[in-house]
Amino acid sequence: MSTIEAESELSVIKKIMEDSRRLNIDNGKHYLMWGILVTFALICNYIMLLTKTGGQYIGIMWFVLMISGAIIDSIMKKREVRTLKANTYAGNIVGSLWLASGIAMFIYGFVGLITKSYNPVFICPIISTSLGISYYTSGAIQRLKWLQNVSYGWWAGAIFLFVFPSIHSVLVFALMLVAFQIVPGIILNINSKKFLESEAHTLNV
Amino acid sequence: MSDFDYTHIDDVIHSRIRTSIMAVLVSVEEAEFNYLKEKVNATDGNLSVHIKKLEDAGYVSVKKIFVDRKPVSKYKITNKGYKAFENYIKRLESIVKNNFKN
Repeated sequence: MSTIEAESELSVIKKIMEDSRRLNIDNGKHYLMWGILVTFALICNYIMLLTKTGGQYIGIMWFVLMISGAIIDSIMKKREVRTLKANTYAGNIVGSLWLASGIAMFIYGFVGLITKSYNPVFICPIISTSLGISYYTSGAIQRLKWLQNVSYGWWAGAIFLFVFPSIHSVLVFALMLVAFQIVPGIILNINSKKFLESEAHTLNV
Repeated sequence: MSDFDYTHIDDVIHSRIRTSIMAVLVSVEEAEFNYLKEKVNATDGNLSVHIKKLEDAGYVSVKKIFVDRKPVSKYKITNKGYKAFENYIKRLESIVKNNFKN
C-alpha cells in the first residue's frame, strides 16, 4: 500500500467516524415533556399555596405527576430505541446522566421532604443546582456550548432562591423551567429536525 | 527491533466497503442494516456479502429483532473487531510515518 493510499484511507475513516458520531442529536422531546409537566405542577402548587387550599394534596399531586412523567419518559425512550437506526455512546451517556439526575431529584424532592431534612422552601434551589450540573455535563458531552451555558441560568436562579426564599419561589422556579428547560427543548427539537432534513438531503443527492 | 510489521495489512478490513462499515460501527454502539447501507453507499447484496466476511472473522456481531412486525438486523463491533480496527489504523499510520522518515 502506498503512502497516498494510506493517507486517503485514513482521511475517509476519519470523515466516516465524525459523521457517525454526530448521529443521535438530542431531539429535545424529553426536555419539553418534563418542562411542561413540572411547570404545570409548579403552577398548581403555587395556586394551592396562595389560596391555602388543598395543601394536604400537594405531595400526592407531585408523586402522581412525577410517576406519570417517568412512565411517559420510558415509553418515549423505548420508542426511540426501537426506531433509531443507530445508537451512539454519547447518546447513551447523556441518557444515563439524565436518569441518574432524575433519581437524585426524586430523592431530594420526596425522601428529603418526607424526612423533614430541610425546609421545603429550599427544594427549588436544590433542584436548580442539580439541573445545572446535568445541563453543564450534557452540553459538554454533546459539544453544545449554548446548552452548557444554560446551566449558568440554573445556578444563578439557585443562588437567588437560596438568598431570597419566599412563597413565590415556586413561581420563580416555574419561570426558570420555561426559560431554561422548555425553550432549550424547543431549540433542540428545531435543530434536530433541521439535522435530519439535511441528512436526508445529503443521502438523496 | 520491533516485530511490528507495518506492511502487513488485515485483509478482512482492507476493502473500501469493509473499512467504512468498521469505521461506522466503531463510532456508534449499534447500527441497523439500512443505516450502514446509507452510510457506506452500498447495495443490499453488496453490503450483505461484506458484513458476512466481517461476521465470519468475528469482527462484527448481529442481533435480529422485530420492529412493527418487520425484521431488523442490528450490527455491533466485537472486542476482536475493535482491536483489529485499531491495529489497522496503526498500520496505516505507520505507512505514512515511515514514508516521511524516508
